[in-house]
Amino acid sequence: MSEIMNISMSRRQFLGLGAAAGASVFLLGVTLPAGCARVEQPQQAGELNAFIGIDEKGQVVFQNPFIEMGQGTYTSIPAIMAEELDVAMAAIQVVQAPPGPEYKIMFDNKMRFTGGSLSVRSSYMTMRKAGATARAMLVQAAAEQWSVKPGDCKTEPGTVIHTATGRKLSYGELAEKAAKLAPPKDVPLKDDALFRLIGQPVKRTDSLVKSTGAAEFGIDVKVDGMLHAAVMQSPVFGGSIASYDKNAVLKMPGVVAVEDVPNGVAVIADHFWHAKKALEKLPVTFNEGDNANFSSTGYQAKLLAALGEPGHVAEEVGDPAKAPASAAKKIEAEYHAPFIAHVTMEPMNCTALVTKDRCTVWAPNQGVDFVVGVAAEITGLKPEAIEVVTPFLGGGFGRRFVMDYAIQAITLAKKHPGKPIKVIWTREEDIKHDHYRPMSAAKFSAGLDKEGNPVALQVTSVGEGPMSRLMPAFLKNPDLDTSVYEGTVELPYAIPNKRTNVVTVPVKPVPIGFWRSVGHSQNCFYKESFIDEMAHAADADPLEFRLKLLAEQPRFKKVLETAANLAGWKGKPWTDQQGLKRAMGCALHESFNSIVAEVAEVSLNPDGEFKVEKVWCAVDCGFAVNPAIVMRQMESGICYGLSAAMGEEITLEKGRVVQGNFDNYPILRPDQMPAVEVEIINSGAPLGGIGEPGTPVIAPAVCNALFLLSGQRVRSLPLSQYTF
Amino acid sequence: MTELKINGKSHTVDAEDDMPLLWAIRDLAGYTGTKFGCGIGMCGACSVLLDGALTRSCVTPVSAAKGKAITTIEGLATEKGLHPAQQAWVEQDVPQCGYCQSGQIIAAAALLKENPHPSEEEIRAKMVNLCRCGTYQQIFAAVKRAAEIQGAQS
Repeated sequence: MSEIMNISMSRRQFLGLGAAAGASVFLLGVTLPAGCARVEQPQQAGELNAFIGIDEKGQVVFQNPFIEMGQGTYTSIPAIMAEELDVAMAAIQVVQAPPGPEYKIMFDNKMRFTGGSLSVRSSYMTMRKAGATARAMLVQAAAEQWSVKPGDCKTEPGTVIHTATGRKLSYGELAEKAAKLAPPKDVPLKDDALFRLIGQPVKRTDSLVKSTGAAEFGIDVKVDGMLHAAVMQSPVFGGSIASYDKNAVLKMPGVVAVEDVPNGVAVIADHFWHAKKALEKLPVTFNEGDNANFSSTGYQAKLLAALGEPGHVAEEVGDPAKAPASAAKKIEAEYHAPFIAHVTMEPMNCTALVTKDRCTVWAPNQGVDFVVGVAAEITGLKPEAIEVVTPFLGGGFGRRFVMDYAIQAITLAKKHPGKPIKVIWTREEDIKHDHYRPMSAAKFSAGLDKEGNPVALQVTSVGEGPMSRLMPAFLKNPDLDTSVYEGTVELPYAIPNKRTNVVTVPVKPVPIGFWRSVGHSQNCFYKESFIDEMAHAADADPLEFRLKLLAEQPRFKKVLETAANLAGWKGKPWTDQQGLKRAMGCALHESFNSIVAEVAEVSLNPDGEFKVEKVWCAVDCGFAVNPAIVMRQMESGICYGLSAAMGEEITLEKGRVVQGNFDNYPILRPDQMPAVEVEIINSGAPLGGIGEPGTPVIAPAVCNALFLLSGQRVRSLPLSQYTF
Repeated sequence: MTELKINGKSHTVDAEDDMPLLWAIRDLAGYTGTKFGCGIGMCGACSVLLDGALTRSCVTPVSAAKGKAITTIEGLATEKGLHPAQQAWVEQDVPQCGYCQSGQIIAAAALLKENPHPSEEEIRAKMVNLCRCGTYQQIFAAVKRAAEIQGAQS
């Protein structure tokens, strides 16, 4: 989710939003209910708190408030808890916590979702306290049994020991008794020096099930008597079904029903292939609505025209308008980035079962309360009557905040009470009905003095962001959507006069959403490319130019220096032993409270084909709770960002998305993946996020290298449109 | 009714001849480890072995699998334990979201059977399935490691 979560969600400001946002989030126009949504369950034996249950064999069941979509929350979050509880990772079974107020542990215990690179940093203290409190209860239970003081006991993983006599009781033997004790308050936390899990490369808890086919994703859910549905939504955004002839397909093999869903039609059958085959044969006509003339090129022209408008001021330092007049050298450039899709490997899907007084939804989601919200709205049931099961997500990247696919499954299940129905989208449906990263553009102008020092920088950022579309209550000023301009403000570089203006250019009817690293993903490309342009205008080495401007910013400087040293920085292109031209490009960016620098080495052959050969990455996220996962998330972010930069582009013609599968929406192939080397800097700064900050930095690093190789400045993505 | 031999077990399924093998394996025989990714044979999430040959099941009709031994991710492990590729995947913590990994491991198993000691270039040439999480570098390393494990076992 957007940087707004970090910048404007401080405790005081959150409360300041009051009832507008305190308990409700608008998502697809559906209000999230404020009430308790937990299905009433009696306390289980050995349940020490909402997160930790221990059975008589000592197996710990950990209720994780965060979903696992690859980013490692099923490892890093339980490891934080286990550090304080003092159990081995192997003793923990990680399960997804059900909906419930006790799991709303973000933003003053008001929210729960998985995104914004927030999981570890938002729950670090909560998880430590949960573990420490449970451990104290186990120690007290043992002490009572031995009639000794708790202070005379210690623990080893899974066991309480009476220090003087060496007597031992396992957590399994103590759990039932311990669970009956009142949880102590303000239990002291472990000394950091004694950590054995936090800060270590703890092995993932989900590798085995994900290597044997046993891991259950949403698409794999099996429920007795389950039917399958294939859906077709209006190809034109904002259109609707005009008519369909269900009789043409009702007699096809396996077909059970043809039903309306919001914005489209579904065929329900005994299995997915039958449903899909019948849907392909279903005669359907759509009302195209008002948007049949929308085109992405038309919208792009609007964006570029808006670059000349004054807009609203998001940041102003010094006197940026006046300063350029005195500058010895002025440069200006317009940048642009296309619509792009999330394309999770697991297409959208959801299974739902509705009965008279209950609704169960098996939904891959990034916000379980969002599922409860739409289910309550559709079924009219109270939140307490709604059960949500969240399996593993085959990728999220921000797509699974929006509940359109869940709404379809619940709508169909309501029409067929007692019948579980699984909706699966084809890849085409998935790509043509995403909530895209919005197209955007920006204009940069800078003035340099005669020594090449920047005296002023002006940015105009234009577009519409997902914050104002999906979470408007979180914006302090509706004219300043942070997800449009984030990454162009609070720059670390010493530039005395600086301004960012924002012009909102509505992109309706196109559905837009949160795409891994959100506004940073475009703005870092623009900003770090333009900083490079400034360096070349100053006739300076791009690395040296940046370092000079970072003299007062030791954290940023160290991150950039670390990446450059790792790479063995070369500021000029060279020819390798095979006669291949090579060059390095660098970029630096802060997002989600983490600072990342990347250096890309790119080669260019005589046919004009380039290859990203290697990427060196340095990251300062304050402290790496699991350095192995931090490194893999950097690799992952680099892959995701490079994929977009290389060839991803969604275009619209006549109100319809043109692309539909991997043949015309290419994602990064294995042979295009560079080797990646990562160095982590534990600076001790407050924890930063890790799932997203690796993504934005790669595009400018690669494009800056391409400039050195070809003399061509890339100001618009994807790279596939260029000839070098 | 069609008889499919999946992971050494015979399954009688009610599948028309043109039904993609993927959906017969998943929805009729109940092996959900094999994944649907694109439906056009481009991503490889649906990879299975047909008489040992690497096959994209989303574009393979059931009729083409009749009488052949189908191996899915669930059938790779033997009484002796996990397949060397699975062992390497777990050892190196390759999976992130994990959705493509069944297909990746099946592709690795096919490669290692045909070429027990693949070079870096051969690994890169054969491991072509798509992954959205960017585990490619780890996949290449794990195939190398799997070859070592396989070599040590034989």
